[in-house]
Amino acid sequence: MSGLELKKVCKSYGAVEVIKDLSLQIESGEFVVFVGPSGCGKSTLLRMIAGLEDCSGGTVEIGGEDVTDAEPSDRGIAMVFQSYALYPHMSVRDNIGFGLSLAKTPKAEMNARVEEAAKILQLTDYLDRKPKALSGGQRQRVAIGRAIVRNPKVFLFDEPLSNLDAALRAKMRLELTELHANLNVTMVYVTHDQVEAMTMADKIVVLNKGVIEQVGKPMDLYNNPATAFVAGFIGSPQMNLLEGAAARKLGAEIYGIRPEHIDISRESGLWRSTVRQIERLGNDAILYLDVEDVGSLTVTTDGQTDVVIGDMLFATPQPQNEHRFPTIAR
Amino acid sequence: MKQLRPAILGCITLVVFCVIFVVPFFFIALQAVKDRQGSSLLNFSWPSETQLWQNLVDVVQARDYQLLLAYFNSTVITVFSVTGLVIFAAMVGYVLQRRPSKWNKYVNFAVLAGLMIPPAVVPTIWLLQQIGLFKTIHGMILIEIAYNLSFSILLYRAFIATVPRDLDEAARIDGAKPLQLFFRVILPLLKPVTVTNIVVQSIAIFNDFTNPLYYLPGKDNVTVQLTLYNFQSQFSTQYHLLFMNILLVTIPPLIVFIFFNKQIVEGMTAGAVKG
Ligand SMILES: Nc1ncnc2c1ncn2[C@@H]1O[C@H](COP(=O)(O)OP(=O)(O)OP(=O)(O)O)[C@@H](O)[C@H]1O
Ligand SMILES: [Mg+2]
Repeated sequence: MSGLELKKVCKSYGAVEVIKDLSLQIESGEFVVFVGPSGCGKSTLLRMIAGLEDCSGGTVEIGGEDVTDAEPSDRGIAMVFQSYALYPHMSVRDNIGFGLSLAKTPKAEMNARVEEAAKILQLTDYLDRKPKALSGGQRQRVAIGRAIVRNPKVFLFDEPLSNLDAALRAKMRLELTELHANLNVTMVYVTHDQVEAMTMADKIVVLNKGVIEQVGKPMDLYNNPATAFVAGFIGSPQMNLLEGAAARKLGAEIYGIRPEHIDISRESGLWRSTVRQIERLGNDAILYLDVEDVGSLTVTTDGQTDVVIGDMLFATPQPQNEHRFPTIAR
Repeated sequence: MKQLRPAILGCITLVVFCVIFVVPFFFIALQAVKDRQGSSLLNFSWPSETQLWQNLVDVVQARDYQLLLAYFNSTVITVFSVTGLVIFAAMVGYVLQRRPSKWNKYVNFAVLAGLMIPPAVVPTIWLLQQIGLFKTIHGMILIEIAYNLSFSILLYRAFIATVPRDLDEAARIDGAKPLQLFFRVILPLLKPVTVTNIVVQSIAIFNDFTNPLYYLPGKDNVTVQLTLYNFQSQFSTQYHLLFMNILLVTIPPLIVFIFFNKQIVEGMTAGAVKG
């Protein structure tokens, strides 16, 4: 029993409401990712779960226990910060063992647990170094090690990979997923990178301006976005969202079609367009088309395509993959 | 030509500072090895007879080895005041920087006031007398702490601003209580400013002349700076002994300064740029 439940939590700084009446249930052992644009309140929500930020209202339950007013250290959570927040004056060993030493754990047990964590994270050779003498990825692992030794019910991550370069980020993504599988604990992960969200999550929570837009499995969000906001946020390149007359002609206030769900042909189709720009990624090519009366469309197509800038093309949305949304109320 | 100009400027600066700082010191040292007649002329003439050792013994033995007692008193005052200063100033700086509250305004004002407003001597003495701390070493220690606290707080606060808040939060999650957080995570990180504080304040307090003069009268309470009075009197001054005494009193701070001057500059500027 190490699930997590938020009941109508809210947070305001003075008159500014950052989190509004938010309720969320997270099952034990789940990997949940909070995504959303910058400033939507992801970090704030995570910090409220951690107890670093007070709730202005509502309750936080961890493992069935109300911890709304509990100290961060009494909540059975561990957090990994974006900046790693390693103690610069302590060796890796002391960094990982700091929480245990505060809890007056016997020396032998402490060493055993630190070494076990170090083994999981391949840090054994670095235990006596200072954080200064480690690479970014190693520091990241120390921060995770510090979380592991606490044996938390819930792991909290706040954009832990955003300071790493692309290759290392992909590697750490995999390592984190494996860690989750091995430890089998609840993890809550904040990111604004939708690739991280799609690849790692059991469940994605899309936040926008302090409210939940949609909660669901990655592929559910991709296939059936509930709102135009989610549709635009999940998937890369972004879904094409048409508004106004062009959308109404297709029977919706907002009409969405993903770039990979548009067929192009040189002979005939729904939209007549000219190619404005091409980005070749190797296996794919992304075309930016100008369509009269509709505007700009993004289309992904085969990487070997012989289309060049200025070509005239017809684009047709696949009917089974269309999305229709009412106007955004807010 | 282009390289020459900075070099010439550098040389001129060196010469100027040599004259300002080294010449007086040389003068002191020169007088300290002369005999009574030679030194009373107060000039740069080379001593006809050097009596370094004799002067040294005379100074140390003067008034029943008062200089040694003075060294002891000064050391006690310096060590305890500096320790108190470091701990209090770091704590105040930390709270001021990390816990915004409506009291901060007033505390900030008090800190600045402490820096700008010269202390009033007579009321202070009256207060010390009332609480029984006048003419006592621990009273003197408290005075030194109070007078120098503002400067230390400002140094600490600027530096604490560069310690990331994430560290505090990580420690809180690790289960650190406020005092543990301060002593085990924050204070060790403040080492550069702490060194600066220790050096600057210990030199200032060791060299303090006026405050012991006002607040710590009494034969048994002499501090090193006050021993300079031993060889001065209304009618005659034994310059060779006076200068030997000055030399002895100047040496400890000078050693501290020479060894730590690099750290002082580092600590002073550490708050300014993020490293
Ligand atoms: N102390 C504060 N006082 C007032 N407003 C704040 C405070 N802290 C955060 N906010 C506001 O709360 C909102 C949410 O901030 P938060 O840090 O949770 O965003 P985020 O989703 O984590 O963004 P990012 O992806 O950039 O990290 C922001 O609009 C921010 O301006
Ligand atoms: Mg954030």
